[in-house]
Amino acid sequence: MPSTPAGRPGALAARAAAVGAGKTARALSRALHRGGGTTLPGHIAQRIDPGLVTGLSRALPNGCVLVTGTNGKTTTTRILAGAARRAGLAVITNPEGSNLLPGIATSLLVHATALGRLDVPGSAIGIFEVDEGAFPAAAEALSPRLVVVTNLFRDQLDRYFEVDFVARLWQRALRRLPASATVVLNADDPAVAYLGEGLRASVAHFGLDDRQWGRPGLEHAADSRRCPRCGRDLLYELSFYAHLGHYACKECGWRRPDPRFAAWKVEVDGLDGSRAHITTPAGNRAFQVSLAGLYNTCNALAAAAGASCLGVEPDLVQEAAHGAVGAFGRCERVSVGGRQALILLVKNPSGFNEGLRLVLSGSGTRRLLIGLNDNGPDGRDVSWIWDADVERCRGRTSFLGVCGQRARDLALRLKYAELPSPDLADDDVVRAFFSAVGRTPPGETLYVLITYTAMWSLRRELVRRGHVAPFWQQVRAGEAVPA
Amino acid sequence: MRLIVGYLYPSVMSQYGDRGNVLTVIRRCAWRGISAEVTGLDVGDRVDPDRVDLVLIGGGADSHQRLVCEDLLRVKGEGIRRAIDEGAAALAVCAGYQLWGHYYRTATGEELRGLGVFDAHTVHRAAQTGTRLDTITRAGSVRAVGNLVVQWGTTVLVGFENHGGRTYLHSGAQPLGRVQAGGGNNSEDGLEGCVHGNAIGTYLHGPALPKNPALADHLIAAALRRRYGDVTLPPLDDDPELTAHEQALGRALARPGRWRLRWGEGVALPRGRAPRARDTPPHPSWFFAGNPVCLLTAGESEAA
Repeated sequence: MPSTPAGRPGALAARAAAVGAGKTARALSRALHRGGGTTLPGHIAQRIDPGLVTGLSRALPNGCVLVTGTNGKTTTTRILAGAARRAGLAVITNPEGSNLLPGIATSLLVHATALGRLDVPGSAIGIFEVDEGAFPAAAEALSPRLVVVTNLFRDQLDRYFEVDFVARLWQRALRRLPASATVVLNADDPAVAYLGEGLRASVAHFGLDDRQWGRPGLEHAADSRRCPRCGRDLLYELSFYAHLGHYACKECGWRRPDPRFAAWKVEVDGLDGSRAHITTPAGNRAFQVSLAGLYNTCNALAAAAGASCLGVEPDLVQEAAHGAVGAFGRCERVSVGGRQALILLVKNPSGFNEGLRLVLSGSGTRRLLIGLNDNGPDGRDVSWIWDADVERCRGRTSFLGVCGQRARDLALRLKYAELPSPDLADDDVVRAFFSAVGRTPPGETLYVLITYTAMWSLRRELVRRGHVAPFWQQVRAGEAVPA
Repeated sequence: MRLIVGYLYPSVMSQYGDRGNVLTVIRRCAWRGISAEVTGLDVGDRVDPDRVDLVLIGGGADSHQRLVCEDLLRVKGEGIRRAIDEGAAALAVCAGYQLWGHYYRTATGEELRGLGVFDAHTVHRAAQTGTRLDTITRAGSVRAVGNLVVQWGTTVLVGFENHGGRTYLHSGAQPLGRVQAGGGNNSEDGLEGCVHGNAIGTYLHGPALPKNPALADHLIAAALRRRYGDVTLPPLDDDPELTAHEQALGRALARPGRWRLRWGEGVALPRGRAPRARDTPPHPSWFFAGNPVCLLTAGESEAA
């Protein structure tokens, strides 16, 4: 299907110029080793032709899918894309970290010809992760056939201001979707589940149906304790983590929708991954997820639900979940001179709590390095560390270091959690990492919980020293479709 | 000595690390052998002025404010006002500060009546300008978001502000201090916060107390004085507190780095202007606006 900009020759020229400029910027960016060139090309191209994303995405023969949410969108997108590839679809996706519109524009324009037409096979589909705040604009530009929403936690309040506000933005965007679209929502998150009310698009929920993971009471980091319909207290029968659980409103009667896709018999094997049974309308499947933590089971479940709505066989999702590798800094294992390190991206209190739970699972002590930066992508407001349950580290660490632009805030947080003063405090993330990893005895692992830009600078240094592959090469490797 | 902390609406108005303030009071008391006890006061709970020495209230969204404002007036108002008149200390942060003024007009123009502890009122910037908050960019354009540095007597306070409301002190009301960097009360008059007796209202999140130990001790001492007369707090080793304060101050006065470009916020960086302490940190609207002009003007437009 050719995608010719409608009508005027001027528009045609603008589209071609946009694609040309974008591609040049990308080639330059890579040649100059300025990173993967994943955002800037799309940015430039969109400036030249604001209709670029809409124009190019219309030409995708199988339409496109958007995955959004606070946590887990990268992993969910990866598993979903893996399953779609296994089903024979040619998947166009955006590399992690480029989840604003310019990033999506870049991933589309690399598939365009010099004349500004999308040159893709008939089996092409777009599967993109989208930043929470950019979702309304992305939904409008891309007219997705399927939207998957993983969860909604408080995250970067300096960017998104209020959790309620983000929910309202999503709701407005979702209500514009046509009846032909499908929306897949997390039943366990009240604010997300409620997004399904009053949509023209068809709605499918996914959720955990496993009582053994329920804990009593809500964590401090829980954000949606109130009924999204009437504002009264929600009564939690079970809570999994943060505000995710089985709930009902005692006032208006609104309750957790019954999920069409459910995970049960979940067994988490520490850092090695998890096993679960997933029920879909096509039957039950035993899943093995190669990524650690209960939240990754939920991500696999979200991907299974999304895949099923695309008509992809559950067996293929099963394979994709089993073959999933940690995305950029999500539980990424690194070996430096024979010493082992495991890097976990954390960006909000609920993510931090889950990361810590994962690292501390089992018994014994751990070696831990926490990194906190306050650049735009990290959130310039670092107050969230006071909502994270750092107290869980008490008596469980044999080494505890802090690093980053706000390392001293972390040190202070540890002091008020009555933990011993840190073994290492360094504003320079890279120096701190190599010092900490050097002090790690052979056979032990250094666990690194770190925010976005801190991880980025650490990773760049690891690439430079040849310890890990650049992320865009990883993404390309991930795109290689097993036959 | 004993100190009772009344923590208002712990489950609703505790959005921005506010429990760090509670933790700071408890620990700094405990380290000095003062037993501090925290009472959570949720919707429906009355405030007994004799059973509270230090009242803390944190931040929340407009919807949270709507939720608690009735309760604050009808159930708790009397008790809080009496406690403060009798010399109890208080720290009201952000949304809590707004509700302790005479009224708060929200983004939709709805007027929430406040406690009136502070002789001030607050109007959401969107209500002032008639802005519809239907996109992140527009919502960002009316908010004061960024690091906030305040001169409080001889002490410098550092924190983070994130608010859509603009607070105006009435004549005679005493501000907490002068803004050194950031927006403060209203981004217009250079004032930040409000003081009435031993009650302090402020936009400082961060949370405010851990990194500003002088402010924490000021509140603790004031709260104790009501019951125990003249109290002098023995000094603590505040090295980690002051180092964190220094680092945060450095970040607050630093110019934004290369992340703006990498993150796709714009293709041009402001150049040719030396950093000034008065520079307002860049506004988050540039995240989504992608407009180089925004990068240059966001700080100024806030005060317009």
